[in-house]
Order: sequence, then C-alpha cells, then structure tokens
Amino acid sequence: MSTTILTTQDLSRAFGGVLAVNLVNLEVRDKMVQSVIGPNGAGKTTLINVITGRLAASGGKVLYLEKDITSRAVHHRVKMGISRTFQITSIFMGLSVWENVRIAVQSHLGGSLRILSARPSLGSVNDKTEAILKRVGLYKLAERPANLLAHGDQRVLEVAISLASDPKVLFLDEPAAGMSPAETDQVSELIADLGTEMAVVLVEHDMEVVMKISHHIIVLHQGGVIARGTPREIASNQEVKDAYLGGDDWAPLSNV
Amino acid sequence: MSNMEQAAPRSLIFERLGGGKAMWITTAVMVVILAVLPFILPNRFYIRLVNEIMIYGLLAMSLDVLLGYTGLLSFMHNAYLGLGAYATGLFMIHIWPESIWVAMLVGTVFTMAVALPVGWVQVRTGGLAFALLTLAFGMMFYTVAWKWYDLTGGDDGLMGLPQPDITLFGLKLASSGNSTAIYLFTLAILLICFVFTWRVIHSPLGAVLEAIRENEERASFVGINVRRYKLIGWMLACGLAGTAGSIYILYRGYTGPGVMGAFEGAGVLMMVLLGGMGTLWGPFIGAALFIVLKDQLSSWTQDWEIFIGAIVILLVLFLPKGVAGVPALFNRQSGGED
Ligand SMILES: Nc1ncnc2c1ncn2[C@@H]1O[C@H](COP(=O)(O)OP(=O)(O)OP(=O)(O)O)[C@@H](O)[C@H]1O
Ligand SMILES: [Mg+2]
Repeated sequence: MSTTILTTQDLSRAFGGVLAVNLVNLEVRDKMVQSVIGPNGAGKTTLINVITGRLAASGGKVLYLEKDITSRAVHHRVKMGISRTFQITSIFMGLSVWENVRIAVQSHLGGSLRILSARPSLGSVNDKTEAILKRVGLYKLAERPANLLAHGDQRVLEVAISLASDPKVLFLDEPAAGMSPAETDQVSELIADLGTEMAVVLVEHDMEVVMKISHHIIVLHQGGVIARGTPREIASNQEVKDAYLGGDDWAPLSNV
Repeated sequence: MSNMEQAAPRSLIFERLGGGKAMWITTAVMVVILAVLPFILPNRFYIRLVNEIMIYGLLAMSLDVLLGYTGLLSFMHNAYLGLGAYATGLFMIHIWPESIWVAMLVGTVFTMAVALPVGWVQVRTGGLAFALLTLAFGMMFYTVAWKWYDLTGGDDGLMGLPQPDITLFGLKLASSGNSTAIYLFTLAILLICFVFTWRVIHSPLGAVLEAIRENEERASFVGINVRRYKLIGWMLACGLAGTAGSIYILYRGYTGPGVMGAFEGAGVLMMVLLGGMGTLWGPFIGAALFIVLKDQLSSWTQDWEIFIGAIVILLVLFLPKGVAGVPALFNRQSGGED
C-alpha cells in the first residue's frame, strides 16, 4: 500500500438544515486514482470544496500529511500541494493559454514581486510552462486566448493550470463533462498517467472512465459514504445500484 | 548570424520595458510635443489646461491600475489626490517651505500611510462591497478636509502656499511660481511615473494583478494570496494618486475640499472609461477629452454636467472600450477577425 497523503475525519458540511457532506472519512493515498461517485446532489463537489478550502467545514477535520489544515487559507493549501479543477470551468478567460499556465507556475516558483523585470525573464517559469503545455497537448495553442478555446480544450487547460503547483494531491471535478468521446479518451489517459505520480481524486459521472482508471472508489449518497472498494466490488454492490438509479438494471455498472 | 546578434540588444530595451517599439516611439513623440508646447503656445490659459490634463491623466492612470488591471472599482480615487495635495501643502506651509522634492515625497508617503489601513480593510471584501467602502472612506476624507477648519481652512481651502525654487542636485532651475517651470516639472514627474507604472504592470507582479482581475477564485487556487496582491495594487494606485496630488497643489498654489468630492471622483472614473481601461495610456486621452469638453462646455453653459453626461452616455454605448478600443473596431469591420 502506498503512503497516505490526506485523510478526512468525520468531515461535515451543512447548508441550512441540509447535510451536504455528512461524517465523511476518506483516506487519499499516493500514486492512485481514487474516484468519488454518487447521484446528482450527493455532495461530491461540496466534499471537494471543503477539503480544498473553498468552503468551511461545519464539523470534522482535514489532515494533510498529518497536519490539521481544516481552516487553512486556500492559497496555503495550494502551496502545500493540494490542487483542483472545478465542475464549472475556472480559468483565466481573457488571458492566453500560455499566460494561464505561466501565471500559475510563477505563483509556485516565485518571482511575483520582481517589479522591475519583464515577465518573460523568469527562465525556469517559462521552461516549466512549456513542459506542462506539451504534456497536456496544448502547446500548439499557447498563443490563443483561453476564451476562444473549444470547451474540451478549456477543461484540459484547467488541468494544466492545476499541475503548475506540483501537487501531491489533485482533485478533479468532472473533468470529462461535456467532452467528445475522443477527448474523453485522451483526458482519461492523462488522468491515469497523473495517478502514477500523485494522488488523484476524481469525481466523474462517466462510469466507463471511472471503472477503467480508478484503483479505488467511494460512493456518496445524501452526503454520506455508502460503499467503498475496488471498481469490481462497487459494480456488484446492490446498495450502490439502488442508491444510484433505484434499480439493478444500471447499464454502466452491470457492464463491468 | 552576426546580424541577429547585433539586432538582439537593440530590441532588448523595448522587451525589458514591455510594450512594443511603436508604443514607446509614440510616447517619446508625445513627450517632445508636450515639452515644446509652452514655448509655442502664447496663451497661458492653454498651458495651464494642458498642465491640468497631465495631472488628472496621472490620477486616471493610477485608477486604471485598480480598475483595468486588478479589477477593483474605486469610486473616489480623487480623495487620495486630495490627501497628497493637503499633505504637501500643509508640510510646506507649516514645516518646511524650502524643498519641492521633500514636500512631494511627504505628500506621497502620507497618502500611502493613510491608504494602507484603508486598503487593509477594503481587500477583506470583494466586488460591490469593496466599491462601497471606497465611497465611504472617500466621503470621510472629504468631510475632514471640509470641516476641520483650523487645519485645512475648510471651505476656503488651503492658501498661502510658499513658492520655493525647483532645484535639481542643488542646482536652481526655476521658481515654482513660474507656470512654464511647473508645467515642465509636471511633465517630468508624469514621465517618470508612467514609465515606472508601465514597467510594474508588465512585470511578474502585473501578471498577478491581471490574474486576479480575470478570475479571483482561480487566482487563489493557483496559490496567489489574493488579498495581499490586491493591497499591493491598491498601494501602488494610491501612491501615484498622492504624487498627482502633490503636483496638483504646486501647480494651483491652492487646494480646496472640492477636489475630493464624489462628483469629482465620478469624473475620474469617466476619464478611465472614456480613454479605455487596461491600457495605462488610454486614461490620458480620457483626461484630455474630459477636461477639454468641460472647458468648452462650461464657457458656453453653466449646466455643462448635463452635456458631458450625455456625451459619456453616447461614448459608452458606441465605444464601450473607450478611445483605446477604436483600432480593434476598425480591424473587425475590415474582416480582421474571424
Ligand atoms: N452553496 C450552496 N448553498 C446551498 N446548498 C448547496 C450549495 N452547494 C451545494 N448545495 C446543496 O448541497 C447538496 C450537495 O451538492 P453538491 O453540488 O455537492 O452535489 P454533487 O454530488 O456535486 O452533485 P452533481 O453531481 O450534480 O455535481 C445539494 O443538495 C445541493 O443543493
Ligand atoms: Mg458536483
């Protein structure tokens, strides 16, 4: 078993009276793709939001490398190695593809206070930006403004941005949403590859992708964990099938 | 091969400054024109008008650092011009009348010292709340300048400003009472401030500000301490506004609370929007447009605000990106875009 990077202890988040995340205990391990699945409104995005600091927890703890980070500022968590993408694409729309990644790399490597230098003078920042863009296959589009990219490329650009901080754990909220089958194949290959280098936590509705690249799956339902296990175990779990579609005739799971 | 090696250092100066060759040549030409203007324009009145345009252009440019680059709306940026003006004036009247440089430094530093706690509070909010706080603080400063009669002279304003010589490295250049001297002095300070701000905006720091403008949440999720960098942008903008205020009182020999009013603040915002935000040079065009229009209209009618309002409405409707957006408009019409 690989080392544990991040754990949550009875993590909860309420909205008014609704418990969107209810006493969730997670263990995120290094060099693995771990998926969080569940029906709409199960609390998957809220769980990521609380772990990454976008939302405050209502109860419980987030431990990262054994440190309690439950109430750390977002930028501190990023600097420590926690990175994410959003369900609704969040990139710097008015900036070029290059600048989108470059600014993220600059923030990680430093140099932001060098007010008398030119931006391109940060050599190591340029090199890393180039390497990341080449890795995700967007280098050819480096000059293009992000708002003119196709939807799928914008999703990939956000993954590229989130890689700039050399994350130890990467949360991906439905990265393949709205992608064509070909794009989905490419991005799931990229995610599987990232899972050999860091801890990846994937939220995804495309069960083919989930079943193919996950090492471990957690099933959320109404804010709580109802099952966890290998893809094979989850696929044959009756409670999961009931929660998901209220029946056992759910094609994506029965295919596995 | 050797050709390229020779070419590299020449283009380097432009690269280091950021911005293209054309932009810097235009700047140089503008500076030369502005510098010879007092010697070819016989009418003192127009010299003073251009002087005022330069000062308000500097103020509008400093607001552009917030509005166009950091994405923060400040309704009463003129309050910081006022702080710089009063601080410079009070320092010269009560403490040390000898040096225009020390007085300017005092004006700028005082403005930044006030701006720091204000900014510290403001960056803890975002969007509309930030804008509202700029209005609230601005009105407080205005009221202090207006009501603290013993210190500021209240409604009458600050009068009796001494007119020391303008010196450089101990060399006497001219009296600050000479309108041509103060004009050229304004131009010199303006040029320094513009090149400095341009440099900063095109540095890695400027990139951080732009990232915050584009997407604050994403900025914090790439590890940027958003509040800290907003505060840096705020301090830069207020420092420049304070400098503009220092020159303002030297140029007028007087300041009243009127320069710090909300109505004036709206005028500065209009200058930025008219010229085109996010360009740094656009606000100067906006300031020129606004001040010339105001001058022409007010010589013709007392209710010039109505007309300037109407003109601003038309420009916003038809030139949403200001004068700076005109070239892009032509490109689109000639099929320059897909
Ligand atoms: N900011 C919010 N304010 C109030 N309620 C919220 C908020 N965010 C989420 N919720 C509620 O919390 C519950 C969980 O929502 P969440 O977005 O985490 O689900 P999800 O599993 O990501 O769903 P989906 O698959 O549709 O993305 C839902 O009932 C939702 O309405
Ligand atoms: Mg979601």
